[in-house]
Amino acid sequence: MNAEDDRLLTVLPIHLSNALAPNVHIHQFPLLTRPLQTPPSAQAAGKRIVFRVKPKVRRLEVHVPVDTRPEVWNSERARDLGIARVEDDKEKNQESQKTKSREGEEPRLSEIRMQSEQVPQQGAYMLGVVRDGRLHLHPVSETYQLRPTLTYMDVLSRKSKRRTGAGDDSDSDDGPPPDPDDEAPPPAVKKEKKQPTGEAREVQVAARRLDREGGQAIQGGLSAVRRDMLMTMRAEEEEAWEDLEYCDGETEESGVAYEAVFSKRQEPLECKTTVADFLKNTSNS
Amino acid sequence: MADGNTPASQPSNESPDPSPSKAIGSLAKKQSDVTRLGTQKLKFVPTLPARRKSGGEVKPEEHVPKPTPTEQGRGRGRGRGGARGGAPPSVEMTASGPFAMGPALAGSSTRRSAPRSNFTPIVPLGPSASSLGSGLTSSAPPTLKRETDKDAQRVKVEDEEAYSEPDEGVEIVDMDNVRQMDWMAPESLRKDKDDAKRRKKGAKVKKEGKANLDKKGKGVAQPDAMDVEEEAETAAAEVDLANAVDLSESEDEEELEDIIEDFALESEQLEESGVPQERLYFFQFPEPFPTFQSKQPPPDAVSIDVDMPDPSDPKGKRVSFAEDTKPPAPAPAKEQEAPNTTLDGQIGQLEIYASGAVRMRLGNGILLDVAAATQPSFLQHAVHLDMAAKRLCVLGEINKRFVVTPNVDALLEDLASIGIHTQDALQIDEEGLIKMDTDS
Repeated sequence: MNAEDDRLLTVLPIHLSNALAPNVHIHQFPLLTRPLQTPPSAQAAGKRIVFRVKPKVRRLEVHVPVDTRPEVWNSERARDLGIARVEDDKEKNQESQKTKSREGEEPRLSEIRMQSEQVPQQGAYMLGVVRDGRLHLHPVSETYQLRPTLTYMDVLSRKSKRRTGAGDDSDSDDGPPPDPDDEAPPPAVKKEKKQPTGEAREVQVAARRLDREGGQAIQGGLSAVRRDMLMTMRAEEEEAWEDLEYCDGETEESGVAYEAVFSKRQEPLECKTTVADFLKNTSNS
Repeated sequence: MADGNTPASQPSNESPDPSPSKAIGSLAKKQSDVTRLGTQKLKFVPTLPARRKSGGEVKPEEHVPKPTPTEQGRGRGRGRGGARGGAPPSVEMTASGPFAMGPALAGSSTRRSAPRSNFTPIVPLGPSASSLGSGLTSSAPPTLKRETDKDAQRVKVEDEEAYSEPDEGVEIVDMDNVRQMDWMAPESLRKDKDDAKRRKKGAKVKKEGKANLDKKGKGVAQPDAMDVEEEAETAAAEVDLANAVDLSESEDEEELEDIIEDFALESEQLEESGVPQERLYFFQFPEPFPTFQSKQPPPDAVSIDVDMPDPSDPKGKRVSFAEDTKPPAPAPAKEQEAPNTTLDGQIGQLEIYASGAVRMRLGNGILLDVAAATQPSFLQHAVHLDMAAKRLCVLGEINKRFVVTPNVDALLEDLASIGIHTQDALQIDEEGLIKMDTDS
């Protein structure tokens, strides 16, 4: 591809618009072939996808209703898990008013919750659409990966562990060793929210774990890293969820937003970056 | 064609000797030292894989394919081909699956054809087990237009397979079609593209095998056997090609073609449901994206929220970090410094060349190469989060990813011509090399 005599076939003008910036995000879901959609049975029952967000900590959560037909869904288990989830929510202060009223007496697990994890962007991301022989670009500000949260399972296992023996439950529940980067709420939550009798034991266990990790073991306390983590988590838990209206790709609002991505003007923009600057910047970044 | 069997091959004739004879024999071992071992040919009758056609023969073949390369061959490729033809299951194991063909195919195979979430309307649930979920029809085996033909062919081939009598109450379902059974059905992985080819080759080699049963010697060839052999030879050669070459060549070709197609099909408007079917593409540019500014001062009241009406101010209207105002920051957000500036206009052009290269030419001679990136197989939504209106709008699904890289040749040329005189650490060494400053 070094040939400059390569025949030029087509030329598409490139347009740039940042009309919707910085609100254009990319969401990645662990779905291979199916779209993010409520199953037909759930949709018939009136359930919809719900999104909620904690703006300050940049965390999103999407609730996708599940298919609760008896052929593919075990309702007794759903009931158990539903109860666990309600408890889990209470602990983490994540309940929304809606769910409280809706669930009523019998909480059932009827949706899959996916929480987001923001991933850092490598380079400048742009969304591009080809329309009318022009390529329209729009910057993407943030990228999130969503994955299902199963934190209610901890509640369940905690219950069963309490029954069998309250000894090492924090240890056994903490499967993988605590990762300083990992903001998984459950281990920390257990540390704080357990009963006072558990508290003392928790602290000792924490110290032991830190020893194993080679971190600083402050007797009877938590290391700085841990503390930071806990603070972040607490901040997150304290922030309230804001519900969002989810507009599918086919709704009118989405159409409006989609059209806003396109550049409306034809005027050429002047480039302020010279090639040398460009090279310097790319080599630096 | 040497008569001297390599010692390795002899024991392999008697017992399945897995790796050396099979793997290497397929490519390098051309001798068919085979003739005297013609008796072994009896065993090798490759058939189509695993369907209940010739029940008895299936098993022995699968065990025997390894020794056969040496025997089969009157010659050369056929033996290997025969072995390959006869053992498609084992070969498939190594090369099948959604990731086998490399990132391009993995991506293209699972790329959604519908850019927006234009799902078919909800289908009311019928009988539970076999009801088709609505989403399945649009999103089930992710089919590109190109792929549908192959898929269709493959499906036809499979439909022709005769299944044995179903037991009572058991419904026979093809594995590939499991996905379509129900909304909650598990996803079927895509089978190898070359299945159909291999099966056909297998049939041909089988004929040859049968014909060879009667013969002993290498040189003894009867007309029909020769014909069959030739068939099988070409078949085997093709099979080898299929195995050896397709994996790489087709990938590359697909990639390049795809890129061209993605951009060149400007007028493709499949306005079926009224929802525009434009594909959403994702571009990854090097950070920082070049800054742009509107040429004219913003006297046009149309332009929104310009904070600096002074046209001579070069800092007005930026799209991303400017190197002189901020150090190149790793943060992804673009509009951190000037949330009010908006940009709307043409910044360059996308050039598509006959060789398949796609380049972007922005202002000031910045030339960028566009290439297809690794395509993720999962769902990606481009969304617009409107906190003011408390709304999250899905703009659509991302169809394809591209990576944009600076064209190094152009950069170097520019450096040579202009960069020398700037004070940006582009000093010339003694040997005439430009010193690149990489520490700052």
